[in-house]
Amino acid sequence: MEEIRAYIESGVLELYVLGDMSTEEKLQVEAMAQKHPAIQAELREIEIAMEMYADAQSVEPSSQLRDRVLNSLLTNLGDDRNLRTVKRNIPDEARVVAIQQRATTSIFYKYAFAASLLLLCISAVALGIVYNRLQDSQQQLVSLRLNEQKFTRQVSFMNEELNVFRDPSFRFIQLKGTPKTPASTLTVAWSSKRSKVMVDLSSAKLPAPGKGKQYQLWAIANGKPVDLGVFDKTTADSTDMKLMKSIASAQAFAVTIEPLGGSVNPTTDQMVVLASL
Amino acid sequence: MAKKHKLSLSEEELVLALQRHDKIGAEALYDMYSASLYGVIFRIVNDTATAEDVLQEVFVKIWHSAASYNNTKGRLFTWIVNIARNLAIDKVRSKDYKNQFKNQELENNVGYIDKHNSTEYKPELLGVKELVDKLRPEQKSILDLIYFKGYTHTEAADELGMPLGTIKTRLRMAIQQLRKHFN
Repeated sequence: MEEIRAYIESGVLELYVLGDMSTEEKLQVEAMAQKHPAIQAELREIEIAMEMYADAQSVEPSSQLRDRVLNSLLTNLGDDRNLRTVKRNIPDEARVVAIQQRATTSIFYKYAFAASLLLLCISAVALGIVYNRLQDSQQQLVSLRLNEQKFTRQVSFMNEELNVFRDPSFRFIQLKGTPKTPASTLTVAWSSKRSKVMVDLSSAKLPAPGKGKQYQLWAIANGKPVDLGVFDKTTADSTDMKLMKSIASAQAFAVTIEPLGGSVNPTTDQMVVLASL
Repeated sequence: MAKKHKLSLSEEELVLALQRHDKIGAEALYDMYSASLYGVIFRIVNDTATAEDVLQEVFVKIWHSAASYNNTKGRLFTWIVNIARNLAIDKVRSKDYKNQFKNQELENNVGYIDKHNSTEYKPELLGVKELVDKLRPEQKSILDLIYFKGYTHTEAADELGMPLGTIKTRLRMAIQQLRKHFN
């Protein structure tokens, strides 16, 4: 008796009623309940308490719900009943007809299903093709736009270059190679009136600067070197005239090879071309 | 709500009618238990449309598995309400549902039900509040976790940081309190 008391007090029966245990544990509780009426009675008490707990907080669902729920149950019920009466009352021939009808509808649905599946596959493939084409067109569009931008830039740049030749204030200065680099030349266009300096990269002949090095243009003004900016002769912009930093007066121009980004003062032993005015 | 003519059968009659798929079984089942089940489901899902869907699913499930109910294993309502709780808790835990309603605290739900149904105010619900207030907070939280949130007692022990034994005793005490109240 003491054991049963402890079993009841353990709270396991409450868990049973709340469905909070494994199937094995449930079977154990059921076995105990069968053996001991006290446990059975306790279970009933707990069940009734939980039932009243649920009842105490009952909320009436909307009145339309009753029909909706009952219809969903009883529609199936109707089918079952029809099946039963078909079996009992309808003579053999009629039954054959009925089954055939069912069969044709089911075949119809089978075909319909197969057809929709096929349609789905075809649509998926078509969609894939269209998507790919769209992607292609978009890529083409992007590259066309890039081309267009490139040309616009080129045209405006060429216009600017042309203006250099139209403008009588520009002087064209041939920078000659130093003894170390006798073959080098570079043309610099300079307008002191406009303080504009440009280097003509297309005709430039300069020794390769080496890795991590760049050309730097200098002007000598009042005996002091003035930085006019760095430039490269890479294939990307080697056809262009490059606008350098502005200067209004200069007695000489020179190019040295400097580390990337240029230096504050020219490395004179790296001078490649020079021209005095 | 005005009491309409509602069907009511004894438990044995109802079980038999359900297992035979008699129309009267469906009607009596609905009339006898829809309000209790809806109340429990609503407290779990906290949304009218979802609660109605779940209630329908519950009745469909009961209808189709009535044959598996065995009265030696407990009362019909215990079986039914556990089906309802499980379906409702599954719904709340489903991904769709979580996205739809970001965590609403359970504690607010009793009040929420009151507000929600203010047109057909139920004085009984006041009784629930009183009843729930009679439970000590630690008893209430355990009952809520297990009954309405679908925690197992092991999960509840983790959540509340208590030993399993304590959880079981407190759950038992909470239900003892309910029994006292209803007697």
